Order: sequence, then C-alpha cells, then structure tokens
Amino acid sequence: MFRTRSQRTAVGIRHAGAAALAIVLVTLLAACSSASPSAAAGGLEIKEAWARPSMGMDRAGAVYLEIHNEGGGEDALIGASSPAAETAELHETSEGASGMMAMKPVSRIPVPAGDHAKLEPGGFHIMLIGLKAPLEVGSTIEITLRFEKAAPITVTVPVKAG
Amino acid sequence: MNRTPIPLKLVAALALGLAAGLLTAGCSLRQAADAAPTGGPTSSPAAAAASASASSPAPAGRFDYPAAAPAPRLDLVDQDGRPFELASLSGTPVLVYFGYTHCPDVCPATVGVLNQVIGRAGIPVRAIIVTVDPERDTPAALKEYLVYLPPAYIGLTGAATAIRTAADAWGVTYARIDTSSASGYAMAHTAEVYLVDAAGRLRAHYPFGTEAPAILADLARFTPR
Repeated sequence: MFRTRSQRTAVGIRHAGAAALAIVLVTLLAACSSASPSAAAGGLEIKEAWARPSMGMDRAGAVYLEIHNEGGGEDALIGASSPAAETAELHETSEGASGMMAMKPVSRIPVPAGDHAKLEPGGFHIMLIGLKAPLEVGSTIEITLRFEKAAPITVTVPVKAG
Repeated sequence: MNRTPIPLKLVAALALGLAAGLLTAGCSLRQAADAAPTGGPTSSPAAAAASASASSPAPAGRFDYPAAAPAPRLDLVDQDGRPFELASLSGTPVLVYFGYTHCPDVCPATVGVLNQVIGRAGIPVRAIIVTVDPERDTPAALKEYLVYLPPAYIGLTGAATAIRTAADAWGVTYARIDTSSASGYAMAHTAEVYLVDAAGRLRAHYPFGTEAPAILADLARFTPR
C-alpha cells in the first residue's frame, strides 16, 4: 500500500525544479549571511506519505510521512497546508507518566541532519481540520510542508486504511 | 460534563500523583514485567494484570488476567440511547476500548487493529468503544461515527459520572486537555484494548500499538473449540 518506487521517483522529479530553485535561493542567502551554505533545501525528501480515511467531514483527518534529511544541517517542519482542509496543524501524541496518551499541537518537528523525522500513528502527525470532502481510500490529497530552512515541498498523499 | 477547563497544573499534579501511587503500590505495568509482586489485595484490572504477568511473565505487550476474573460492568447507554449491559453480549468475545470520536490519531489507529481482528477472527467478535468524551459523544454522535465501522461495533456513552465509574473499574484514566488547536479540546486517555471472552471474563489487555496477530492468537486460545 505504500507508494511504489516509480511513483516516488515521479514525485521526486516534479520537485526537483523547486528544489533546485530553493538551493539557488539558499545559496544566495548564504552568500550574504553567516548561515552555513550546507543547509540546502534540496536535502529534504518526503517518503511513505499517507492519510488515514476520515470518518465524515466533522472530524479531523491525519497525515503521516517521513522527512529524510540528507543535507548537512538540521531543519524542522514548521507548518503545513492543504487544499483539502481549512487548517492543517502539527500535532504530537505522547504517553504521559500515568500511561495516558495525550495529543497537543506543536510548533516544530525537528528533522536532524543525516537523519529523518517520522510522523506516525501515536507520535507526530499532521491534523487536517475542516475537511472540504471526506478522505476516502483510493483518493489522494495535496499537502504543502513548510520548513524552517528548506523551501516548501508539496507532496501528493494517498488515502489508505491504516 | 464539567465545561470548566482543567488547569494544566491540576492535570500534571493528578498525573504525578497517579504515577507516584502506582510506583508506591508496586503494581505499575512496566514494573510488572521485571519486578516481583508485593502481593496484597488489588481491585483494578491493571493491578490484577500486573500480578498475573509477574507470576508467569507474559510476552512483551500483552498482559493476562487471572482466568476467573469477570469483566467489570459497562452499565451505560448505546448509540441508540438504549441502556446497555455487557452481559447482553454473553456467548461472544468482546474487544473493549475507551476513546472518543474526535480523536484523530490514537483511536483510529486502534480501530484499524480492531477491524483486522474482527475481519480475521473467523468467529463473531463484537467491539465496544466507550467514549471518554460524553460532552461531544452523544448517542447520536456515536451512531454517526459507527456508520464508518463494521456492524460488530457498539458505541457507549452516558452521564460523565457513569463513564468515570466504568473507567475506574476497568483501570482506564482520562482527562480533558484544552489546547490552542482549531479542533477544540482533546482527551488524554489510556489506550489499551481489553479482551473479554465469550463467558464474560476479562482475559487480557494490550497497550497502544499492539498489532492484530497478537490479539487474534489470544482470541483463539481463549475460545473453546
């Protein structure tokens, strides 16, 4: 059910242009600041993205994915948006001392250099609030991810049963 | 339902108190895996599970109950607004889960596992979702939610006090969390799945993240042939 390699490559090619542009921009910025030029926007890659089918439209949807950072600097996911929903929020579910699972909004999800951030059930996730249509298995949605350093990345996310 | 936001400090204090209590009693689930039980009478399923798994270590992620322990009561109201009793499902194994319908992450993940168990069991299995959010989860809201789930599901709600009583009996804890989210408040809750056998006995419970095969294996083990 996960995205095939060829699909992933196609998405990668689609974003190569944006990534290249971002690298140029970051390089230009780096030239006039003390920031490390290694914080390349092109160093981020989104993998294994999927959305859970929603239960109608009154309840939030959830999107999960991995952000791989092959670049040399730490980055962070700081926001998301999607034409499929009014609002997209970053949330984290964590287990408290009493064993209760609690969910709260977070302002950033760190993406360490040479490593990856994993958004998965029971952990970090993107909540889609105010769905414009139910998320149904077999359909896809677009979601744009905003980062602290890298340029925004838009990915096509399949809806599948979790 | 109390509409007053629970102060964060209070939640933290409660959580701390509960954690301290569990540690003092020597019956926290995590301790149970590697610590010897201190014994003594216990009433909560969690405590019963702890002593059971300590006497014969259970595989990671699963906690057996003493075979004779009857499941605590669930005297609540179903999605049609009718009074419900767990005994009405006698003869069928039941998976019990406490959650809420506005829960976008943990509960749907657990429901996904329950769906797999129901689909693969080869015998009739029922699943009960007990809401910990009666303010939003009225019988009508549960009924609308259940449209998206297999017919094996039953949704239970009730007065806030009735739900708290049931949760206490099952060893379930929950608390309202007010956040800045556009989705409104959230409910923090323990997210175990409980397995009740066809004779109404509580046989095992599973922490969040347990996959369907582990539950299916127990279901087969606890179902007379």
